[in-house]
Amino acid sequence: MHEVDFHWNILIVIYLFTAGISAGAFVISGLATYLGGAKYKRISRIGALIAPWPLVFGLSMLMFDLTKPLQFWWLFLTVQWTSPMSIGSWLLTFFSILSSLYFLLWIPRPWRDLLRVPYRWADVFSPRRWQPMTREVVGISRRVLAAVGFPIGLGVGMYTGILLGAIPSRPLWNTPMIAQLFLFSAMSSGVATVLLIAAATPPAKEGHDHMHHERHFLVTVDAVLIVLEIFIVIPFFLHQALNTWSSAESVNLVLGGPFTLPFWGGVILLGLLLPLAIEGFELYPVVWKEAAVKYSRLWGGASAVMVLVGGFLLRYVFVYAGQVSHFLPLLER
Amino acid sequence: MANPAKESNTPPKKRWGFVMEPERCIDCEACMVACSVENQVPLGEHRNWISHKEMGIFPDLNITFMPENCHHCSNPPCERVCPTGATYRRDDGIVLVDYDKCIGCKYCMMACPYDARYVNEEKQAVDKCTFCVHRLDAGLPPACVETCVGGARHFGDLNDPYSEVSKLLATHDYYQLYEEAGTGPAIYYIRGK
Repeated sequence: MHEVDFHWNILIVIYLFTAGISAGAFVISGLATYLGGAKYKRISRIGALIAPWPLVFGLSMLMFDLTKPLQFWWLFLTVQWTSPMSIGSWLLTFFSILSSLYFLLWIPRPWRDLLRVPYRWADVFSPRRWQPMTREVVGISRRVLAAVGFPIGLGVGMYTGILLGAIPSRPLWNTPMIAQLFLFSAMSSGVATVLLIAAATPPAKEGHDHMHHERHFLVTVDAVLIVLEIFIVIPFFLHQALNTWSSAESVNLVLGGPFTLPFWGGVILLGLLLPLAIEGFELYPVVWKEAAVKYSRLWGGASAVMVLVGGFLLRYVFVYAGQVSHFLPLLER
Repeated sequence: MANPAKESNTPPKKRWGFVMEPERCIDCEACMVACSVENQVPLGEHRNWISHKEMGIFPDLNITFMPENCHHCSNPPCERVCPTGATYRRDDGIVLVDYDKCIGCKYCMMACPYDARYVNEEKQAVDKCTFCVHRLDAGLPPACVETCVGGARHFGDLNDPYSEVSKLLATHDYYQLYEEAGTGPAIYYIRGK
């Protein structure tokens, strides 16, 4: 085997994973705000409250991966249009700002009132006259931020794949499908995090009905995302195996190479098929019996943890195996 | 061949490049030593290397030694992906790293199909072959060329039809590495007999 130093290591894996969770949590929160309003309020809140934090953690990991961690801000002195990393840095900056503002708007009531805003232009420079936000202002701001942040959240999710995919010299990465795979996996990881926290925290006061609505919504979205991922993985392998020699050889890393177990056992079985089976079991009464979604905290939490482990392993396998994959010289010239 | 220098007052743009003769390479690695000394390359890293290409089926076996370094591509993938613009290409085709601008994200190392780059811990930046640009600017050939005992490494201006490298390319069959990837490498290999 080609001798490889892994210049991108576990720090990059963690960063790609956490950026995906943030993007996914933000997008699902925005989606819940627009689709359900009051019905999915708890989902919107959980998503909004967690969205900024995984990314902050991931970005600090990313910083330590640099040989000059304290010079990370040089990324923001320039825009390099042909570098996915440069575009991604700016995208992450906008996303961080938006998700932080969105976070502030979703802080629960007694604490939110500590936050004061000027209501007249004349008050902008005299903070003493600022007032807590009214219900209407909060409602409109949430919707505006959700709408503006929605495409940026999708962009962040997609960027984590494009970062790898835009490199021709790594055949395992160099396919447009990796952007979609990482995007849907990011969304799925975000939804799973919201699911996990929803299962771990006490339900909203309104009662059991809301729980079922929430659960139905989250499980449906997650199941759809998992099915989409499966239909990316299948053509991904067919395409790579039938592509140039370098590409065909690169998939051997996960088809009977060093990354076979983490990929098929971790990503596919644990991260996609098992959670899909659990979610199918939960959704079964809705689809065939017109009854409420089956709900169990234990199974809900378990499927969410599996999705997260699978999402992490997906990044691990691709970041590491991709660095092993390379152009192959012609045997005979 | 028309000499563009005679048709206009401006001299033609230089395009520095290598022509390697693998048949003359004996894998002595003197070029690697010369480079490391000349450029103070940290121990364990190399700016140039010799790839071994094994061919044939027993008993007709053959091994070719291919001297290699950064290919100084005309369309460098490393330059394209650099998020800070630290990697740049000079007018004479030499691809360089601005060590002050490099933050060490290592994206260029992912993008280079030749694995020509390494992390220079002393400079805290990504580093690679410079074609000994400090020597070129002083009118000297790169250190690896000067030291090559077998005469396998030839260096010169590919745009000058009277240069040693252009003459070699005009009279020999040659190939390049991964040119199908669109990198436009500036290293040519003379095909063996």
